[in-house]
Amino acid sequence: MSTLVNPNLITDLQKFGAADINACFSCGNCTAICPLADNDAMFPRKLIRLAQVGLTDDLVASKELWTCYGCGLCTTRCPQEADPGEFMGTARRYAIAHYDKSGIARALYTRPVIGGAIAIGAAAFFALFFAAIRGEQSHTSLALFDFIPYGVIHATGIVLMIIVALFSLVGVGLLARDLARHDGVTRSSLFGSKEAWGRTGRALWYALGIESLGQKRYRQDCEDDEPVEPIYRRRWLIHALTLWGFLGLLLATTLDYGMDLLGIKATGTPVPIWYPVRLVGTVAGLALMYGVTWFMIRRWQASQCNDTSKPSDWLFLVLLWVTGLTGFLIEAALYAEPVPAWGYWVFLIHVAIAMELVLFLPFTKFAHAMYRPVSLFFYGLAKDRSANSV
Amino acid sequence: MSQADIPEAAAAGQEGGQPQRRIGVYICHCGGNISDYVDVAAVRDALKDEPGVVVSESPVFACSDGTQHDMIDDIRAQHLDGLVVASCSPKLHQVTFRNVAKRADLNQYAYTQVNVREQDSWAHPHDLAGATEKAIGLVRAGVAKTRLSDPLEPLVIQTVPRTLVVGGGIAGLRAAIGLADVGIQAVLVEREPKLGGWVAGFGATFPNDASGAEEVAGLLEEIRQRRDITTYTNAELTGKSGTFGDYMVELTLHRDGSDKALSVNVGSIVVATGFDSYAPDDGELGYGIQGVVTLPQFKEMVDATPSGQLTHAGRRVRSIAYIYCVGSRQGAGGNEYCSKYCCTATIHASLQVGGIDSSIRQFHLYRDIRAYGTNELLYNASRDAGSTFLKFADDALPAVATLPTGGLGVTLVDVLTDSRELTIPVDLVVLVTGMVPRENRGLVGVLKLPVGSDGFFNEIHPKLRPVETVVDGVMIAGCCQSPRTVGESVAAGLAAVAQSAALLKKGFAELEPLVARVNPEKCIGGGECLTTCPYDAITSIEWDARTIASVDPATCKGCGGCVPVCGRDAIDLLGYTDQQMRAAIEEMISTSEPVKEPVS
Repeated sequence: MSTLVNPNLITDLQKFGAADINACFSCGNCTAICPLADNDAMFPRKLIRLAQVGLTDDLVASKELWTCYGCGLCTTRCPQEADPGEFMGTARRYAIAHYDKSGIARALYTRPVIGGAIAIGAAAFFALFFAAIRGEQSHTSLALFDFIPYGVIHATGIVLMIIVALFSLVGVGLLARDLARHDGVTRSSLFGSKEAWGRTGRALWYALGIESLGQKRYRQDCEDDEPVEPIYRRRWLIHALTLWGFLGLLLATTLDYGMDLLGIKATGTPVPIWYPVRLVGTVAGLALMYGVTWFMIRRWQASQCNDTSKPSDWLFLVLLWVTGLTGFLIEAALYAEPVPAWGYWVFLIHVAIAMELVLFLPFTKFAHAMYRPVSLFFYGLAKDRSANSV
Repeated sequence: MSQADIPEAAAAGQEGGQPQRRIGVYICHCGGNISDYVDVAAVRDALKDEPGVVVSESPVFACSDGTQHDMIDDIRAQHLDGLVVASCSPKLHQVTFRNVAKRADLNQYAYTQVNVREQDSWAHPHDLAGATEKAIGLVRAGVAKTRLSDPLEPLVIQTVPRTLVVGGGIAGLRAAIGLADVGIQAVLVEREPKLGGWVAGFGATFPNDASGAEEVAGLLEEIRQRRDITTYTNAELTGKSGTFGDYMVELTLHRDGSDKALSVNVGSIVVATGFDSYAPDDGELGYGIQGVVTLPQFKEMVDATPSGQLTHAGRRVRSIAYIYCVGSRQGAGGNEYCSKYCCTATIHASLQVGGIDSSIRQFHLYRDIRAYGTNELLYNASRDAGSTFLKFADDALPAVATLPTGGLGVTLVDVLTDSRELTIPVDLVVLVTGMVPRENRGLVGVLKLPVGSDGFFNEIHPKLRPVETVVDGVMIAGCCQSPRTVGESVAAGLAAVAQSAALLKKGFAELEPLVARVNPEKCIGGGECLTTCPYDAITSIEWDARTIASVDPATCKGCGGCVPVCGRDAIDLLGYTDQQMRAAIEEMISTSEPVKEPVS
């Protein structure tokens, strides 16, 4: 069965980066040296080839895109200096844009002016919106939710989450469908029998537990004779702290909301710094800030595979960092005497940026948080299959 | 050597008026190549008592410096007048031992080489006795032939310092200038109305991007200024007579509907008639469909496009597929050779395309890329510029067809993409056609050019004699020999210049005297020999009021083809006379020992 190729795929893809990839002559050194490539997921050579010959569907539906953690070893060993590591990153950008049917992700990646306008416009919109509905600033205590009503923030958040969920479901659904087709995974092979359920469960645990939360393979990448970086700036640790910090903040917020619902503590009630929920938030925030700051430094230094960052890559980090920083400034303002007026405005910025961060989930690098687990699920299935077929 | 010089013993050995010859025989061990399978000492001893044999030795290596000196000493001390070395094939060392004879003031044609290696020891490694017996017979035959040898001298020909160049492509043009540079007049004939050949039609060419048209224009300007270069266009070589160094060639000039004949006296001929581009069959890889073109057609199209957009049949070209090795490397029965220039020419053209419009997507469907030497850098550059290379297997050629959606589709199984079958939609398909030999039947007939099984002309030796042919004084240069690049063609043209100079600049040439000779007393002018000679060396002449045959010794190759056809035994081959051959055969079969039964 002959496949009609898209002759312009590589030119289109190169709008997202990978300027040097044309030098690739398919030798396969990258795949040979890759510490993460195995029989169940071969890359980068295969994926570069798919892009070169124009097999779009195969490229975006390759779980291999997301089983790569971008250590950059392939780039250091490429005899053609084609930068395969950068290609993998670019292909992931391309896949994110491919599964975002709104075109926003593509604009953010490939059109700096329009993308910048979208990013700044969204932030300005949220800031102006909250400024427009703002209330009184109390001078006796930092009553943030009198300044911007808690109900409005809550409602806006719900609306945004619904929008994001719609886009995300479409993207994840399409990717899952394509991956399933590509790997020959059927509904019955997932849920058709008790064994199938077992397989599915194991793959889910692998994707979410072992890999996403446990970062198992991320910890293993670059396990070769390369000099290892000191532990405090090792990539998996930076990522783990960012991820766990993010999840910790999510947990703190959820707990705070839950206690409000249960009537234990109303949201906005002043609490001491050692109060458990506050403590979780503070520690998680510190972890997030540490991780994101390192990510930004590495990206700034253009090290390894982050040598050609796109504005959209920065956008995600900047939104996270500003959200974290403003969070800590608010925390400082909460315990400051007398009540600082700037605390209210920092809060406004914090809420506006956090809203944008959530809204942009499906359109920026943030989208890896949904596509990578899906792909890892299929990788888990493939590993399971090959382990049992031996 | 006068009678007085001959020592008494030799003079006493004369029988029946014929002087007894004094022959030295050397049976070589060739390390062990011969002596391991032939009892060399037995051969030596068997030859000792042979009439006329004065010296019989068995050196370990006859060709070694020491043995050569010993032979020279023997020849001088023993007053030898014949030399026989039983060793390897004459192809290897005939010249060596002829020179030994020369250095010892012995006529070099009194030397006979007997091959007891390839034709004996190597052939019978398991039969020492039989091989030894055979060796004795072979050496005796050699001695018998040597006994009857006559002293011969090389033929000397006065040469004409003028060369005919056939073909006015870049190799012929550059050769003509080269000839003029070394002081040999050049006469250049070109069949077409214009000089310059293929290269005159090219724009930028690899490796230096220089314009082929400009390069040819420069050569033509140079030729215009040279008084010792004459060019004829619309002209053909239609006849050749005379001998190497002194040919008379007939040129036919096609002028205004009528033909004019012209005779030119030349010393050598350089054939640089070039190639034709392979013409695909109708339907071969889609040839015939709108948008499927050959490499020369594509090159013309690209050269004619300055910048901006590449168009074909009025429509903008946004994607191109190149299919390599069309008409080359076809396997048994077809053109088995690689055309050598087309990979690089295509890659170079694709870079040109990138310069015209960098947004054009280019797919190269190849079997093996042979952009050799520094052309590899062009290959790298074309990949860097975005060309994609896809590899198909020898036995799975791509297919070209019109897509249901319109436009062209090229389908192949790409070895580099998991051997998946891919269809690439493109606006233009370029069939990378190779070189084929040009039809030159007339010229081949006139010059008796050796044509290889692939249709290209053959040189004598691909490495050591790369432009000479078996026809003395006729050289070949460029793509008429085999597919090659412009640079390689010009290099061959200049090699032919150097070889012409080597033949003509001395003013004379020496030829082997081992040629046929007619005995005018015996010849009755029967004429059988006239039609037999493949070199047209035999003509009828008037002699003593009779018509007889005469062999031109400069033209004769000494093949001996005329000798047996003569009903009167009037022709003899010098060095291999009937008498000599008969004596050799007699000697070989008149052995006293029982003839060994052949192994069944």
